[in-house]
Amino acid sequence: MSALLLGIAWGIAAVLAIAGGAVIGVWWERKVAGHIQLRYGPLQIGPAGSLQMLADVPKLLFKEDIVPSAADKPLFKWAPLMVFAPVAASLAVIPFAAGWAPLDTSVGVLFFLAVPSLEVVAILVAAWSQRNTLAAIGGLRAASQMIAYEVPRALSVLPLVLLAGSLRPTAVLGAWQWWWMPLLSIGFIVYLIASIAEMNRGPFDLPEAESELVAGYFADYSGMRWAIFMMAEYGAMIAASLFAAATFLGGGWPFGGALGTAAIVLKAALLITVIMWVRWTFPRVRQDQLLRFCWTVLVPAALVQLVVVGVVLPWM
Amino acid sequence: MRTEELTLNLGPSHPSTHGVCRLVVRLDGEVVTHVEPVIGHLHRGIEKMAENRTYLQVVPLTDRLDYVGSMYANWAYCRAVERLAGIRVPERAEYLRVIVCELQRIASHMMGIGSSAADTGATSAFLYAFAQRDLVIDLFEALCGARLTYNYVRPGGVAFDLPEGWVEQCRSFVAQHPSAMLEIDELFFGNVIARARLKGIGVLDADTAVAWGVSGPSARGSGVDWDLRRDDPYSVYPRFDFDVVVGSNGDAYDRARVRLWECIESCRIIEQALDQLEPGPVMAEGLPRLLAPRPGDAYDHIESARGSLGVYLVSDGSVRPYRMKVRSPAFCNLAVLPLIATGHTLSDLLVILGSLDPVFGEVDR
Amino acid sequence: MDVKRARPAVPPSVSGDAEDRMGLVKGAASLAKGLGITLKAGVSRPLTVRYPQQKVAVSPRWRGPLALRGVLGRDDIPLLKSASHAYNELIDGLYRSDRLPPCVGNCPANVDARGQAFLIADNRVAEAYELVRDRNILPGVLGRICHHPCETACKRNFYDEPVAIRPLHRFAYEEYRKIRHERISPLPRTQGKSVCVVGSGPSGLAAAYDLLKLGYRVVMYERERKPGGALNTGVPAYRLPRDVLYEEIGDIVGLGLELNTGVEVGKDVPLVELIREHDAVLLAVGLQQSRILPIPGTDAEGVVGALEFLWSANFKHEAGVRGKRVLVIGGGNVAVDVARCALRVGASEVKLACLESESEMPCHPWEIAEALDEGVVALCSLGPEEVLVRHGQVAGMRMRSCLSVFDETGRFAPKFGDETTDVPADVIVFAIGQAPKIDALVAGTELLVSGRGQLVVDGTLFTTSVPGVFACGEIVTGPGSAIGSIATGHEAATSIHRYLQGLPLDGDRVARPVPVYPKHAPADITNVEANRRRAVMPMADPEERASDFRQVELGLTRQEAMAEAMRCLRCESEVCVGCTFCARTCPDYAIKVERVDEAGARCLTRYDYDLSKCCYCGLCAEQCPTKALQHTGQYELSFWHRDLMVFDKGEMLRPPTGTRATGRDGVSPPGCPVPRREEP
Repeated sequence: MSALLLGIAWGIAAVLAIAGGAVIGVWWERKVAGHIQLRYGPLQIGPAGSLQMLADVPKLLFKEDIVPSAADKPLFKWAPLMVFAPVAASLAVIPFAAGWAPLDTSVGVLFFLAVPSLEVVAILVAAWSQRNTLAAIGGLRAASQMIAYEVPRALSVLPLVLLAGSLRPTAVLGAWQWWWMPLLSIGFIVYLIASIAEMNRGPFDLPEAESELVAGYFADYSGMRWAIFMMAEYGAMIAASLFAAATFLGGGWPFGGALGTAAIVLKAALLITVIMWVRWTFPRVRQDQLLRFCWTVLVPAALVQLVVVGVVLPWM
Repeated sequence: MRTEELTLNLGPSHPSTHGVCRLVVRLDGEVVTHVEPVIGHLHRGIEKMAENRTYLQVVPLTDRLDYVGSMYANWAYCRAVERLAGIRVPERAEYLRVIVCELQRIASHMMGIGSSAADTGATSAFLYAFAQRDLVIDLFEALCGARLTYNYVRPGGVAFDLPEGWVEQCRSFVAQHPSAMLEIDELFFGNVIARARLKGIGVLDADTAVAWGVSGPSARGSGVDWDLRRDDPYSVYPRFDFDVVVGSNGDAYDRARVRLWECIESCRIIEQALDQLEPGPVMAEGLPRLLAPRPGDAYDHIESARGSLGVYLVSDGSVRPYRMKVRSPAFCNLAVLPLIATGHTLSDLLVILGSLDPVFGEVDR
Repeated sequence: MDVKRARPAVPPSVSGDAEDRMGLVKGAASLAKGLGITLKAGVSRPLTVRYPQQKVAVSPRWRGPLALRGVLGRDDIPLLKSASHAYNELIDGLYRSDRLPPCVGNCPANVDARGQAFLIADNRVAEAYELVRDRNILPGVLGRICHHPCETACKRNFYDEPVAIRPLHRFAYEEYRKIRHERISPLPRTQGKSVCVVGSGPSGLAAAYDLLKLGYRVVMYERERKPGGALNTGVPAYRLPRDVLYEEIGDIVGLGLELNTGVEVGKDVPLVELIREHDAVLLAVGLQQSRILPIPGTDAEGVVGALEFLWSANFKHEAGVRGKRVLVIGGGNVAVDVARCALRVGASEVKLACLESESEMPCHPWEIAEALDEGVVALCSLGPEEVLVRHGQVAGMRMRSCLSVFDETGRFAPKFGDETTDVPADVIVFAIGQAPKIDALVAGTELLVSGRGQLVVDGTLFTTSVPGVFACGEIVTGPGSAIGSIATGHEAATSIHRYLQGLPLDGDRVARPVPVYPKHAPADITNVEANRRRAVMPMADPEERASDFRQVELGLTRQEAMAEAMRCLRCESEVCVGCTFCARTCPDYAIKVERVDEAGARCLTRYDYDLSKCCYCGLCAEQCPTKALQHTGQYELSFWHRDLMVFDKGEMLRPPTGTRATGRDGVSPPGCPVPRREEP
């Protein structure tokens, strides 16, 4: 019973964390995009427009919740939460400090890889429930893309598990040595690219390609339901960055304690900035190029990394 | 497995249809098996409206043909009127027309390149191009007070002479523009993803381009070495030294990159024109406010940013045109879309549409 | 140093590298390069501005919603007050602020035709007359004979037909003569100095009038028995009844001019004596002798000069040509005058031969048209070769065909062909120009005379080689128009005044260049309403008028004149007169103008402008002849409600506020702010 209450408490904390992260993330992304594009980005509300989202969130909350008449209404209404829930859940296994994670389980890495994959189902539900051709195409693109990129993503994390000898994220963090960074650089890049593809961000934002599918699988959503999709995207970005910061980049290293947690968040923020930078720099790839890139570049690269680690490991 | 074709309506309100165009697309998976542009959503009957307007009143209407390149429509129309009424344009006015139209070419190509980039998702390249476009539009605003619909070129000359300091502002723009273009070239056209997205997409061979009446950068990308500025010289263009940029593959990449290099060539023309510019009147002398050309007809065409833009006018001797017809390059260029887009994916379809750079104000008129 | 950077050359192929696919390494390098470019942009200064805090620079040629500056009413019309010498400064002020109406600017003497039209329309005809007389000292005379460059420049040429400015002068005179005895009284002599004017032509009279107004004593000498100079001797009576001329000169005499007629300076009174007696002397003697070509046979009986011919025709109504064939040589206005006079003194046949082709003839086109109406035959493109003489009497003239009159640079250099024609004639009148004859005049003085018999004069200050002796009129400018002579008279008077006051002659004096406005091709008036058309001057019947010296132009009636005066657009006055040209030119029909258009009660009753229809093309403001309609810099249309989109007259006249983004106080008023361009 107490475990259930604790779980609910953690759930609420995760939702709030993602919501807060999304609020800051949207502002930060608009600033980054603005400055990259020779603009200022938001300026009006708060210092440097930092309170812009405080103005936007109530707007989204009070917007009319439009449900297309042809839509499958229950699925249409619940799909945003189904997209959001796995993202929020994946935050549970991230080690925020040395030896501590909200859910310190022995299959944490597997959990982190597996649970967000459920998002595919939710996206398909959202896409199909709208009865919208553009959304359907977006949903199908998302499905093929996310399933395909699961493979390099999982493969890129495996070397970590091999090195640490455990699937428990806290154990991975505990075993982390500084020389893992150069050693695992290929795996890290593969992880980053695969994660960007997983979270449907540019240059792999085909499912929601603005110029082709308008908004892809959430084309007909509006108001807060639309905002939940956005939060899910930012949540996925935050989770992937935090996980990378906590494992590939050594968590709090070189600090410990609270400073270490701050270091993790800072490293994650840096990764998020890089992801945004990439998103505002590159054109979008095409579906066939996306899949070809996955199977001909990313998967072999991840396998190479695995082999490297597999050869190095016996020497240890 | 039984499969079925999917019919998809793109537009008329769609971010990358570059205006108000509806594409009825039949898809086999992601592959386009059939595409039909449905035009006319922006039809305002400008050619018919012209029959109810005096010759001067038509000029603001032509602004709204190709609203990305208003100066061209102004100029083509005014050339037709001048030919009809036998008006001689002062030399300074011709130079000013050349300068503003080459600036307009830059502004319009910035839109073309920018939208090619935006269609593939490269929003930063799009905005870098737009930053350059904004500088041109600032120049236009200083010149005539308007940022989009200029109403600047008039039958007999131009509406205003240059304001003070304009030449210097224009020179500094022209001086920095090529390096900005090279940056966009590196950022976008040199990018591996952009090359993968644009190269070999929507290949239009030279013969087909000529057969379908494609003109402008869209045709030059296919290797059609045809530019009215050089091949049917008008105004003072023969006095300038410039190259006609020609592509070879006829794909979306060549069409877009021809535009980029044309901008740099336009800078060359503007610099020469500014050097040769001499003081003088900017409007033909002795023009009545109400033109009433002798009965007859006239056709004149110029090289607009989209291709050869022609205006045909018939006069019955009254103060209003009896008939006006616009030969719109955007319309002719759009016609080849089904031909070159079939067999490509949905994502490519929009890239191809963008590489033809249609402006629907001009397509629908 | 070469400041121009080398331009990048167009690559041989815009398709880039030969291979379509980049390898992994090259691809990754291109991605890194792209990231570098965006990073550089990210850390550099944004190009955009922080919008409301940092306002966007606006072009002064802005094209925001329209505003009106003033509306024609009874009181608020800027009026040039008449009959004061502050008028000169007023005109100069108009020059400075670039608000001179084209009619005033194109008149050599800057006669205020706009003010005249306003006053006549307001039924203040006497004031109109005095306003005109201030610059054009003989409105009744010039109202008949002027070549009216004002009408050529009139902006109504663009729209339909020019305002009949010259007939209005004449109308004003006709009204004024009824009350002139009430308004003419000698001007006070405040200066205690006296000026002598030699010659009573238009330039002398103009200078005398100005000097009288300035308070000088002015003494004028005239050789003929009647004053008026060339107006008296040269202008045919059918154009100018002499009583009009004498009456208007009489007005000036009434203002205090001491006129001595029948006194030839140089013969009856030596000029040296005048120079000694007076503080300044003005020579306005004009051109006295006709030029005759140095060709064989000109000494034969029957060859006369134009001036002599006109003199006898005007005063004796007999020039010895009754029943004879007359050939007039020359294509100018004098030649046409001679030809028409010859008809009136009984010539059986009048031919006019000139070098120029019909379209190039230097005379005014309406003059030759009237002459042709009366039966004069024009022989164009013929040059005189030799006078054919039989028994010492003229028998005709051999003419050689003329190919071109002017060379490429526009200089007079006639080219002749081989063909010759013999034109039979009994009398040949040479009307090819006049020359000064001043030998007797200058005898005994130190005045310099050029080799060609011309007085040496400064063309802008009108001084001669002797201090205190000035000259003006055709003796300075050569053959020209009456109004041009009057203009030189005004300038000479200014010089004399400055000389007598001990001021530097040029100093801060504003040279008043006469702007030459382009001539307009006739506007299309096929569909123009009757009440917009110019009043037609009634003319005497050509058949009848050619036989005597009755006036050809009959003058406008009071009603016609009032209506004509109301056609004036009051150019540059920044007051809307309801001409409706903006409404006519608007391609979107966004402007509605209504006005009351009755004599003496013309005013604007409605001016609506629909902002939601406006396409901001700017044609209306460009068309506005008065510059009353102007664009504002107010671009933020989001401040307007839909129901406020129609501006009425009152809203458009609201005082200026605001900038491009917001009002002047940073807040856009909810109504219709109508900002005006800041005065520099």
